[in-house]
Amino acid sequence: MSTRNELARANAAVETRTGEPPEDAVAPATLALIDTYLRDHPGGTERLIPVLHRVQEELGYLPFPVIKAIAERLGISPIQAYGVVSFYHFFTTTPRGRYQLKVCMGTACFVRNANSVLEAVRDTIGLEVGGVTEDRLFSLEQVRCLGACGLAPAMMVNSEVHGHLTRNGVRKLLLGLRAKARKPHTGGEGDNG
Amino acid sequence: MGEIAPASAPLDRKTLAELRLRLADTLRARAGEPATGAPRELLVCAGGACISCHSVAVADELERALAASSLAGRVRVVRVGCMGLCEAGPLVVVSPDGVYYQKVDREGARRIVAEHLIAGRVVSDLELAWDAPDGRRLTGHEVPFFAQQVKIALRNCGVIDPAAIEEYAARDGYLALERVLFELSPDEVIDALKSSGLRGRGGAGFPSGMKWQFVREAPGDEKFVVCNGDEGDPGAFMDRSLLEGDPHSIIEGMAIAGRVTGASRGFVYVRAEYPLAIERLDNALTAARRAGLLGEDILGSGFGFDIEIRIGAGAFVCGEETALLRSIEGKRGTPQPRPPFPAQHGLWDKPTLINNVETWASVAPILLRGPQWFAAIGTRRSKGTKVFALAGAIRNTGLVEVPMGISLRTIVEEIGGGIPSGRSFKAAQSGGPSGGCIPAAAADVAIDYESLQELGSIMGSGGLIILDDRTCMVELARFFLEFLVEESCGKCPPCRIGTRVMLNLLERITKGEAVPADLDTLEALGRHIQRTSLCGLGQTAPNAVLSTLRHFRAEYDAHVLEGRCPAGQCKALLTYTILAEPCSGCALCAKACPSGAITGEIKHLHVIDQELCIHCGACLSVCPTDAVEAV
Repeated sequence: MSTRNELARANAAVETRTGEPPEDAVAPATLALIDTYLRDHPGGTERLIPVLHRVQEELGYLPFPVIKAIAERLGISPIQAYGVVSFYHFFTTTPRGRYQLKVCMGTACFVRNANSVLEAVRDTIGLEVGGVTEDRLFSLEQVRCLGACGLAPAMMVNSEVHGHLTRNGVRKLLLGLRAKARKPHTGGEGDNG
Repeated sequence: MGEIAPASAPLDRKTLAELRLRLADTLRARAGEPATGAPRELLVCAGGACISCHSVAVADELERALAASSLAGRVRVVRVGCMGLCEAGPLVVVSPDGVYYQKVDREGARRIVAEHLIAGRVVSDLELAWDAPDGRRLTGHEVPFFAQQVKIALRNCGVIDPAAIEEYAARDGYLALERVLFELSPDEVIDALKSSGLRGRGGAGFPSGMKWQFVREAPGDEKFVVCNGDEGDPGAFMDRSLLEGDPHSIIEGMAIAGRVTGASRGFVYVRAEYPLAIERLDNALTAARRAGLLGEDILGSGFGFDIEIRIGAGAFVCGEETALLRSIEGKRGTPQPRPPFPAQHGLWDKPTLINNVETWASVAPILLRGPQWFAAIGTRRSKGTKVFALAGAIRNTGLVEVPMGISLRTIVEEIGGGIPSGRSFKAAQSGGPSGGCIPAAAADVAIDYESLQELGSIMGSGGLIILDDRTCMVELARFFLEFLVEESCGKCPPCRIGTRVMLNLLERITKGEAVPADLDTLEALGRHIQRTSLCGLGQTAPNAVLSTLRHFRAEYDAHVLEGRCPAGQCKALLTYTILAEPCSGCALCAKACPSGAITGEIKHLHVIDQELCIHCGACLSVCPTDAVEAV
């Protein structure tokens, strides 16, 4: 978790400092991550999806310069790599929240009122599907079936599934996460403010 | 006692045989089969659903309570795969007693140790029980949910610890692979599969033995074996549970296929949404390699085979085999026209055998128990069993494996325990977005590949969503169309454009803006898309609409002709009114109303201005006294 934030910050820092076209703006740490992965997994272009997974796992998203760097290393055109990124729902080119909320919109959840979960998220933290909160704490997506139909309606927070959700349950869960996220950092920000 | 040491050294055939002898009774007892001298164990369901209900904490608590008791070191806690009855999780089973405990929390865990294990009396208020119509209280393996099932693919789910390769081996695991390596010829294996009547469990039902033969006979020195675990149908969780609960059964099936077809590399394609399945499969692959059951020279046979995991990236169309293969190659997952079939030109244009998770898990039992045993189960053309993920408006949500030919009524009323909240059974939706709806009137039809097709649905991979009278069939069809519009890869116009037009028509119907001719257009368009689409996604996309049009035409007519939604689900067609009697005048509805349509004084009846009402239903959902009526 912390590596992800560090890398994302490092990337952002490089982007703002150079002010150059984003092609050159990939943090060395990210390049190292890509190179290490490709070295440990010898092969050809079939490594594109796995390496995209690996990088998104760390950065939380796939910035264009990173996609381009990966394409160069695999010997394919950037547009080919981008074509793959844009084809699959799992990949995203915009930053996600620290807590990624994925509300299941599968049939079982649909039958058990998954819409109320989306509404509860909107009412509690003001997020619409596809959005990220300003503090980048939460992002909201709807997904097609988590396979947790026994728990319908269900939502995934990062890789943890929460089931049998009620409006109130969603509210408590989100407020709890927000409180938890604020605590460890109070030394730097909270006390002064 | 059934002490199980982790295998750090390779398992040779002798060690495997010893394991099977030593642990057989322990594991038979867990599965509720006759056994003698089995040690007492506590089985905790560590399937995905139970874990979400904190079953891991329950297992830890059981261990703590045991360690602090007089039973310290004498009773093991085993974290097993999905037991199936997700609704009642977390589940704990006391073996060999065969007592099931449901919805166990930490307190319950302590009571199971103190009352059941130490004091020797069943904790009856936690026990899973079912009141039979004749007044008997059924418990344990007699509960209809378990008693009506026949487990072949799921034989080890909920019985073994998926992380312990020894436990899989002890359930005659890897014995079929041994036979294939040392006793049976490839043609004998293919003949066995053919005469068993096994058909692909991914949905289309192609005879598996024939597929294996095509790949075996296809010319080429490099071939591949692929497991399709891209379980994309909303409402389906069979593959996930199998990969989580018994990963070795899939590995063994694939290794057998490698030997038979002449492939040395296999791939398992799993959805990214299933992190636990990926983790457990990965661990199982490592264990199998360490044990010498994967890799070079398996069990000294000279045959080498290994498997890699490929993680999907959220594209429904990748469940289609040609799209899945493109995705493994690192490309956009767009389908290819067939022929050529993957059996001749698959992964990297080489002959490729691709089967679904459940199909792979069924291979070893068929070879061990014989094709006649398998073929004796089921109907004339559909043999064996099928795993269904039972969900929706049903009491016992969960995973069930039933013989082909069972009736929908048995699944819903006996195994599923009926419809909750006093509602009535309206229909079952099978086959996910590619499938259709089976009306309650057809509940007595024997389920197999053919009968479902005749009803306008498909077997599909096994998602079975039960619908009650509150579900609007038009809205359900719209829901699936919306899904398919989003998931259409865009390669062929009938699917890309046709589904979009169908969705527009359905939206008009649910909003009350449609004209009678729209229904005919919908039907004609649906047939056209079925005939002209490139792949299975498009060819089956209209099924949800066509099957509901066929079985629930009156509901469509009510929307179009009368502007009415009989199930009360299409918000735009509902009129909201506040009833005087229950209204407490709390004003919550007025606060929630986004259009300011609700007025009234505190503690007095509130009124909705129908001119201003936008039919959003916010008032209905916030009203604490159920005073808002929608008709």
